[in-house]
Amino acid sequence: MEYALIQATNGAVIGIIYALIAVGVTLIFSILKIVNFAHGDLYMLGGYFSYYALTLLGVPPLGAIFVAIAASFTLGVILERLLLTPLYNETTERKDEYGLLITFGLAIALRNLAIIIFGPFPLRPTPVWSGAQRLGQLIVTNDRVFAGAAGIVLIISLLYFMHGTIWGQALDAVSQSRDAAAIVGINPRFFNSLGFGVGAALAGGAGALIAPVFTLAPDMGVLANIQAYVIVILGGMGSVLGSIIAGLVIGEAETLFTAFFPDPTRALAYSNAFGVLVLMIVLIVRPTGVFGRRHLRLE
Amino acid sequence: MTRDAALVEGKTLCKRFGGIVAVDAVEFAVQDGDLIGLIGPNGSGKTTLVNLLTGHLAPDSGHAFLRGRRMTGLPASDFAAQGVGRTFQLTQLFRRMTVLENMLVPGLTRPGSTRGAVERRARTYLTFLNLAHLEHLSAKNLSGGQQKLLELGRALMLEPAILFLDEPFAGVHPHLRDEIITRIQELHTAGRTFVVVDHDMESILRIARRLVVMARGRKIADGPPAQVRADQGVLTAYAGV
Amino acid sequence: MRGLHVYVVLALAVFILASGNRLNEYVMHVAIIAMFYAMMAASWSLLSGYAGLFSLGHMAFASLGGYTSALLVQWSGVPVPVGMAAAVVLTALGGGAIGWVCLRMSGPYLAIFTLALSEILRIGLSTESQVTAGMAGLHTTPLFHSRSDLPYYYTAFAMLVASLAIMGGIVHSRWGLFFRAIREDEQAAAASGVDVVRFKITAFAVASSFAGLAGAFYAHYIGILTPSLGSLDLMGLVVAMTIIGGLESIPAAVGGAAGVETLQEVLRSYAQWRLVLFGVILLVVMRFARNGLLAPLWHQLVCVKVGGLPRLGRHVPQEESRL
Repeated sequence: MEYALIQATNGAVIGIIYALIAVGVTLIFSILKIVNFAHGDLYMLGGYFSYYALTLLGVPPLGAIFVAIAASFTLGVILERLLLTPLYNETTERKDEYGLLITFGLAIALRNLAIIIFGPFPLRPTPVWSGAQRLGQLIVTNDRVFAGAAGIVLIISLLYFMHGTIWGQALDAVSQSRDAAAIVGINPRFFNSLGFGVGAALAGGAGALIAPVFTLAPDMGVLANIQAYVIVILGGMGSVLGSIIAGLVIGEAETLFTAFFPDPTRALAYSNAFGVLVLMIVLIVRPTGVFGRRHLRLE
Repeated sequence: MTRDAALVEGKTLCKRFGGIVAVDAVEFAVQDGDLIGLIGPNGSGKTTLVNLLTGHLAPDSGHAFLRGRRMTGLPASDFAAQGVGRTFQLTQLFRRMTVLENMLVPGLTRPGSTRGAVERRARTYLTFLNLAHLEHLSAKNLSGGQQKLLELGRALMLEPAILFLDEPFAGVHPHLRDEIITRIQELHTAGRTFVVVDHDMESILRIARRLVVMARGRKIADGPPAQVRADQGVLTAYAGV
Repeated sequence: MRGLHVYVVLALAVFILASGNRLNEYVMHVAIIAMFYAMMAASWSLLSGYAGLFSLGHMAFASLGGYTSALLVQWSGVPVPVGMAAAVVLTALGGGAIGWVCLRMSGPYLAIFTLALSEILRIGLSTESQVTAGMAGLHTTPLFHSRSDLPYYYTAFAMLVASLAIMGGIVHSRWGLFFRAIREDEQAAAASGVDVVRFKITAFAVASSFAGLAGAFYAHYIGILTPSLGSLDLMGLVVAMTIIGGLESIPAAVGGAAGVETLQEVLRSYAQWRLVLFGVILLVVMRFARNGLLAPLWHQLVCVKVGGLPRLGRHVPQEESRL
């Protein structure tokens, strides 16, 4: 019984991290109207940013998380300015093909660059909070607790940003109509950069939070990517709340699946496949996703 | 298939999108040789009705018939193969293909067609539409009016018995608009049936033999122009919306 | 009066055939691998550049073809060509099935779905190692029992030529027009009488069968097969080759494959940097020269007519039908 509870708690933490990643994908989709195939690699880089902030810059673990978020945001804005501006150009045709191919190319470049710069061997940054909590029969390591709590804080901050601040509402406006937003004085270029930057920051933050729990490796983004798509499609492309809920559900389901899968040698390998299978089934049954919507919604 | 079956018929067609009823139990019959103007305020369901009758949308209830044959649920390509041609509200050409290639696509879908014969036929239609000299240009490089004409030509390549034209006059220069009207009249005299959707009342009244008026998804009038224009319900619909 | 491209291609073909005896082992190996990638890039170009179906599962079909042929030969002792034929049939059917499943999926969703499929296959092949030998590698029966790779060289070339001939035939036929129409505007294509369902499924089946054939050949040439054949990195390499050469032109895609593969070997000592380089080149090409680097060159070759006066008068690039 404790085993199930421990796994359920772990699943919740994973779910929060997944939710963070998925919200980034959905945000980028709503604002730039593309699926970001490099999102998993931004998540991976966030983890490495925090690691090197710790080891090279000597920043304390909590600070390293902030550094990672800031660095990911900056990287996102730079990439958007360099690569994605044709998406706003009237003369660019087949924009979703462009978005697909260019982010796919970006993913390849980033992943292999990571292997070269950071090396292929797993790394592990110091957790913000070491040790473990004991609640009766339940033992949860503090790094997970911190990751989960910080993840929740980030999600709540994002929701407040989107709903309660003028910039967040402007982002929503741009997601619904660039032209209409421009007419009322919202600068779409600025907000596209902001949108991609925030999406990248969320991914990077997720990577930084989970890095102490699992280790860092250059290919950790590949599966995170696929999980993100599963979640976003399940929760509805464009729906922030949908991504959060679906993220929690998938994280929980995946962890419990691995925990209770009869054959332990296959369990880990197929736990990765679990999300993929869910995705395939969803897309077969409903090719537009469960709650397909084009623009950002906050309900 | 009965001999006096309408060319195209929609029976109690219903279509809703989310909470909105776009088409509400509409009965619509087109006889051979008709030239119908399908009019109504914005959002009255005209384009949705066209989509239902050309196979681009499946009705929630009700049926679409082609010469008595039930076509409900079949794909749009089947409708096209059976002689239903259509143009779109916002032109949907094969933009990066040439003018000639745009014409070849529908031509070559017909069974037994050969490339040479289809090219000849395409060129004939292009000449008819005054586009022959632009044959090798990419469709995206045509002017707006020329694009509308090309879309008409593309539909003609199916040798359709009936043509649904969705807003053929929208945003078109008056001179070109007259040309489009002339072409429609010539094709109609030669035996083709037309259903023309548009807001340009002046143009519609010049060509239509019969007017069908829609409002809020329902058909509210159907008859000769003089009769429909005097219809109180129609006037209310246009004024009241 | 023919386009210059015909002569260039013929000269190239003669050169490749004649060089066979004179190449050292290493260069010949690179050439064979280049021909494998050429088949992959060409068929991916057909699927994505022509029909508009951006599948990221193309390498997965090569992998599927390889394992099908290898395992069939291993279990039932049939000759390798029979195994390869079986691979073609299976991947054609599989491709058609995926095409059917993906019918209503939009571009990015189709990419995501095929990406997911590719990963599932790779994970499955890796995990079920009793059957497939997993990451340790499956030993395959060689296609030829010869000391040199020369028969492989000629076979790969013959396969490539035959594949390109078939693909070229498709592209120049009305099927080619229908595929392009579907990519341009699916709704308009349907309204023009194109049976979109049938052609999407066909495009997937045909392209996947070429991938399966290439994969089967690869398996029986290399001698050892691992699930990494279907990895995302190799899929990315094929995408890069096709885009850098020219997404919408099969000859350009072939050129892209040859070019990138050569570059890959020339820069062998830079190992991982090569993939970064190709990724960056892919980004730059997409950003600034979306039609590819070789496509304009090929187009020029086609337009220059040999054996008469050059065509004067109005000639605007890309106004003519694509080859």
